[in-house]
Amino acid sequence: MINSQNPVARREGLVIQEMPEEVLVYDTNTNKAHCLNQTAAFIWKACDGSNSVKDISKLVGDEFGGAVSDDFVWLAIDQFNKDNLLQEKVETKFEGFSRREVIRKIGLAAVVALPVVASLAVPNTVLAVGTCVRVQCCAPSTTGGATCPAGSPPSTCPSPCVCPATGNPTLCT
Amino acid sequence: MDSEPRLSQETNNIYWFTLQSRISEGKAVKAFQFLRGSGFEPILIKGFAAARFYPEKWRRQYSDVDLCVEPSAFERAKKLAESPEGRRYNIDLHNGLRRLDPVPWEDLMQNSELVEIEDSTVRILRPEDHLRVLCTHWLTDGGAYRERLWDIFYLIEKRPEAFDWKRGLDAAGPRRRRWVVCCLGLARKYLGLNIKDTPVAEEAGNLPVWLTRAVEKEWQSQIRLKPLYTCLNDWRVFSQQIRKRIPPNPIQATVEMEGDFDESSRLKYQWGSVLSRIPPSVFRLGSAFRENFEKKNV
Repeated sequence: MINSQNPVARREGLVIQEMPEEVLVYDTNTNKAHCLNQTAAFIWKACDGSNSVKDISKLVGDEFGGAVSDDFVWLAIDQFNKDNLLQEKVETKFEGFSRREVIRKIGLAAVVALPVVASLAVPNTVLAVGTCVRVQCCAPSTTGGATCPAGSPPSTCPSPCVCPATGNPTLCT
Repeated sequence: MDSEPRLSQETNNIYWFTLQSRISEGKAVKAFQFLRGSGFEPILIKGFAAARFYPEKWRRQYSDVDLCVEPSAFERAKKLAESPEGRRYNIDLHNGLRRLDPVPWEDLMQNSELVEIEDSTVRILRPEDHLRVLCTHWLTDGGAYRERLWDIFYLIEKRPEAFDWKRGLDAAGPRRRRWVVCCLGLARKYLGLNIKDTPVAEEAGNLPVWLTRAVEKEWQSQIRLKPLYTCLNDWRVFSQQIRKRIPPNPIQATVEMEGDFDESSRLKYQWGSVLSRIPPSVFRLGSAFRENFEKKNV
């Protein structure tokens, strides 16, 4: 049963992408993106309105094989609040400690990885689709004279240059 | 420890582009639902249809949803795509395949495929037809976009076992067959595409000199072609774009004039292209000038 005191994960206006060990969330209202580590993602999913913080801390313990305190869950909720990942903000209860102190306290004792929500920054480079991974270019050429190791981003590739694998003149940008 | 957690730049970028891919897929799905809701059944080209063959979909970014509709339905669908709701999905609506492929719409539709995204479906061309479209589109841009050559690369590398080479190469006639073969040849030459076991292995090795020269020149150039009417507010860019057009890109000119990719001089196509472009360019420039003038006076 949904209890208005229990945290409820927001779903509206979010694009959610499950990764093997993390969950990526894009907020279409703010155009901000976040990466929830496994623990944070688990807690976020458990925020369905029917689970209290105590219930969630028990679920985390069962899932990850190590008892965690309520503060552990509050730590995640605190981050969800900040990043607007809950339907309604929930007042965090660190029982007299500051967030920093809680992290220190839990961090030292926790068997389970701390819940972390990292913000994604807009990449400041264009997508390196044309990296040199494929042709493993480039060797010093007569015109370019520079080298371009495999996998280097296009901006670092000299052009024109010669691909030693095929002997073909090729361009890396 | 209390500071904002950060990911490495590489992870950050991969995650960011992964989310963008997911968002673009979502837009494609919604665009389909939107048009289908009004009785249209479009075919999606480029974008998602190309990205699905990439080993990592996030590497192929796209922002608009290229949808083709049956030519007889185009005007009605266009109104819908330009409506406030339609604009939310970034639909780039095409009147059939027009210059991208001469195969009749009914044939393309009959051979198209439905693929699932997010519990819904979008309609795409079968890979053989999409290969021709991708090649023609790439050539229409004058071969300027090296990164888009990967679309062709991955389509061939990840082609289904039952890939019908005859359809992919010959369905649009011998001239376009040569266009496709040349694109495959370029993908082999510059990206290392393996076409040894394909019917074009020999033919693709024989690329016209003007073609490779034009491609390399484009890739070295820092300036990409833009429609002239979009540069009217910046004379430096405008004059740069004029200079870029002299002489016209031989690839673009040949495709525009439906020419052959043989060893002969490109001059006739370049002249043809210039002459055929003058009237519409003058018209567009005139409209843009008028619009600019009116805006300034308002």
